[in-house]
Amino acid sequence: MSYLELKNVDKYYGDVHAIKGVNLTINKGEFIVFVGPSGCGKSTLLRMIAGLEEINDGDLVLDGNEITHQAPSKRDLAMVFQSYALYPHMTVEENMSFALRIKGEDQSVIDQKVAKAAETLNLTPYLKRTPKELSGGQRQRVAIGRAIVRSPKVFLFDEPLSNLDAALRGQTRVEIAELHRDLNATSIYVTHDQVEAMTLADRVVVLQGGVIEQVGTPMELYEAPANKFVAQFIGQPQMNLLSASYFSGISPEAVDVGIRPEHFTIVEAGQGAISGQVELVEALGNETLIHVCLEGAGEKLIVRQYEQPTVKVRDTVSINYDVSHLHQFDVKGEAIR
Amino acid sequence: MSTKKSKLTTSLIVRTIAAWGIALMLFFPLIFMGITAFKTELQAIAVPSLWAFEPTLENFHVVNERSDYMQFAWNSVVTSVVSTVLGLLIAAPAAYSMAFSPTKGTNGLLLWMLSTKFMPAVGALLPIYIIFQQFGLLDTKTALVIIFTMMNLPIMVWMLYTYFKDIPHEILEAARMDGASVWQEFRHVLLPLGIGGLASTGLLCLVLAWNEAFWALNLGAAEAGTLATMMVSYSSPEGLFWAKLSAASLMAIAPIVVIGWFSQKQLVQGLTFGAVK
Repeated sequence: MSYLELKNVDKYYGDVHAIKGVNLTINKGEFIVFVGPSGCGKSTLLRMIAGLEEINDGDLVLDGNEITHQAPSKRDLAMVFQSYALYPHMTVEENMSFALRIKGEDQSVIDQKVAKAAETLNLTPYLKRTPKELSGGQRQRVAIGRAIVRSPKVFLFDEPLSNLDAALRGQTRVEIAELHRDLNATSIYVTHDQVEAMTLADRVVVLQGGVIEQVGTPMELYEAPANKFVAQFIGQPQMNLLSASYFSGISPEAVDVGIRPEHFTIVEAGQGAISGQVELVEALGNETLIHVCLEGAGEKLIVRQYEQPTVKVRDTVSINYDVSHLHQFDVKGEAIR
Repeated sequence: MSTKKSKLTTSLIVRTIAAWGIALMLFFPLIFMGITAFKTELQAIAVPSLWAFEPTLENFHVVNERSDYMQFAWNSVVTSVVSTVLGLLIAAPAAYSMAFSPTKGTNGLLLWMLSTKFMPAVGALLPIYIIFQQFGLLDTKTALVIIFTMMNLPIMVWMLYTYFKDIPHEILEAARMDGASVWQEFRHVLLPLGIGGLASTGLLCLVLAWNEAFWALNLGAAEAGTLATMMVSYSSPEGLFWAKLSAASLMAIAPIVVIGWFSQKQLVQGLTFGAVK
């Protein structure tokens, strides 16, 4: 059942058409991640849902009610900002209880909800501190706490982990996933980090230039990208894209063929379909990435091996690929199914 | 090493002397006024100036008898306080909207507001005088409150705008997401975060209104006269009475100097905002 629905939503900044007729349906309890490169409109779209940016055209429906032009304070959505945006003059407790106090909730109810959220987020010892006395990770947890005490209809996360260091980011990501599992709240999460997108999302929305490129589960995006952009955006290292001339038995409409690094194998000389010279070997321990420059046009590809390196730089290698994992794209860059 | 150290000490001494010298030079007229206020008229005009004399409070008695000090002081308090409060009430929402919802015209508007301060006040005297005359406002405190408010508004909006711009926009958005109305956002978030800016802006404008003489003299010399006009009355019609003029000046500036002294920190913060951050 659709819970939050964007119908042909548009956003203009002067002459710039930032969001171009976006349609999206989000179900209750779903964890949706908006992902895309900088400037693709993912944060703008989130802020439009929040009410912090005006929707110029189209409709926004939440739980059966049209809220397109409703003030953000009336929408009953909670947002976790990239900069945390905690109230610097209030303690952790006051920050977390602000929304409930504004609403005029009973003090006993407020105390109970704040205590519960603080316990969930391991913030109980810090309730009397102000934000400047906390570390980045703790501040982020307060920002999340401020959202969960309200039990809002939808949680909105605007790149919440991008100000944290790598270790903390991984840890907080797991905490957010656990929190979502426990609360089962509808959430929309914006990130440019595809690891966050793949690990947190029930469904991922890939955006580019204010347009949705594809919506699907993380594995759908990985295994069946709708176009070249999604194919290359999802997956690290990105999908190899080679001209169709290297391959036989493919659709006549195919212009480019994509193949993920793990679907190539290095075979004995003369036995592979493609051959080239090794340019770089990156041994990462659990895997090895071999960069190869193909003979002829000089196209480059990356081969992923889950074993110790067997080749050296400047070796000539022969490469085979897994036919069942070819992604064919037509002249417009759309996938041929 | 020791030469380096002694060089450093010498430069420090030179700089300290220079700093004290400049400070004394700036402060000298005030000291001289303060001393003159306690001399007799004869001692006050003696050349060379007398530094050793028996201080007298006579000038203060005369000033108080001849011109009703309390009346002038009351006018000063009313006009400066009311105009400051009124100014803040107008400037705060204006600065808020310019800082948090800027449009293409915001910068131009700010510059235009400031540019009104470039015009000499006398240029606007005639139209304003006639308007006030038509409305029967000449020589009323209302007239001075209106003109002081107008006079200080550009500075108030500018200062508050700069303060508000330093407050991260997202904090206000967070309050909005938390369900706060515009008033609650202002009351619970903007006011506590911007109180320093509001205080120093208010204080500066209070001082400016208190010290204002041009409009006070031209629009409110008798009934609505402020302490600035009282001071001036000792300089012209009966020749110069240095000692009484000094006593009157000292009484006029005393309240604001005391307020200024206690709020130095706020004032300096207000005047150097942006520059030291």
